[in-house]
Amino acid sequence: MADTHVAASVEADTHDVPHQGAGAHDAHAHGPTERQYWLVFVVLVAFTALEVAWSFFGLEGPVLVLPLVVMMVIKFLLVAGVFMHLYFDMNMINGKLFAVAFGSALALAAVVYMMVVATFGFRISGAF
Amino acid sequence: MTDIAVAPSAEAHDDHAGHRTSLGISNMKLAFWLFLGSECLLFGALISTYLLSKARFITEVVAGNPTVVGTMPNGTLMAEFAEEQSVGPMFDIPFTSLSSFVLLMSSLAMVLAHSAVVKGDYRASRIWLATTALLGSLFIGGQVYEFTAFYREGLTFSNNLFGSAFFTLTGFHGVHVTGGILMLVSLLFLSLRGKLNSDRAETVELVGLYWHFVDVVWVLIFTIVYLIP
Repeated sequence: MADTHVAASVEADTHDVPHQGAGAHDAHAHGPTERQYWLVFVVLVAFTALEVAWSFFGLEGPVLVLPLVVMMVIKFLLVAGVFMHLYFDMNMINGKLFAVAFGSALALAAVVYMMVVATFGFRISGAF
Repeated sequence: MTDIAVAPSAEAHDDHAGHRTSLGISNMKLAFWLFLGSECLLFGALISTYLLSKARFITEVVAGNPTVVGTMPNGTLMAEFAEEQSVGPMFDIPFTSLSSFVLLMSSLAMVLAHSAVVKGDYRASRIWLATTALLGSLFIGGQVYEFTAFYREGLTFSNNLFGSAFFTLTGFHGVHVTGGILMLVSLLFLSLRGKLNSDRAETVELVGLYWHFVDVVWVLIFTIVYLIP
């Protein structure tokens, strides 16, 4: 009889306390604060403004393209790392393993796409 | 006996608590990341196609080949049109920059909505979800305006290779944003009916992941398509 009461009590506790999904719990425990979200947003807007300004300087070739690509990659990493919690998910169990797995796959995909573009680009320009 | 009685309850908790796994993230979240991986492949292919089509378009414009480059609706050759205006000046960079700002702002609203749900502040979560959906709609409105302006200037989906690649890439992105808005509106309705509590914070997080992915794709499109000539 006492056992039944213990079980009922634990169950009641479990249902009274709001549950949080694994992701929600992790985000709450290890995720960024609202202040950090605002800070990242300001940085993203600043980089966007810098990108636009850079494109209006009348530069050409790598001097124009390279800084734009670097700023684009920084913005990409900020959104994926902070807004998508990838940076903070690294603190979870096997988080680093996932980060390495996804990061390597992403890098490999980017290299493959660039090689495809370069190959077809050379063909279009008649280089070979 | 006590252990046996407690065990089913604990198991129920685990089931209810987002399927805690030995991998550290819930199965749902892992599956969603795999879905986003497939989306990366889709947009990678679309961006590559755009770059290749643009390269070919420019090559043909330089070579003056009207059969490949295409003809404008009013009969002038696209090559002449491209020489006069080039592809770059067609883009209204200040306007597109504003669209980018709107999308970045929507991403901020999305993370704040998720944060509010986790804290149990449901009123704030509804406000931020509505703000995100509104900003997304504003972005789509801007894209419709931009597409209309290009159409009036003579750049259509079918009159040359560049138009096809450009409208396919940005159009697919627009469709994804629209899908995201529908998800956000669904969450808003769930919240209004009292069915979106801290219990289901992971659902908001997953929709957030999708929304930020769409934002990240726009970060790439904005630089590659609009800023790099």
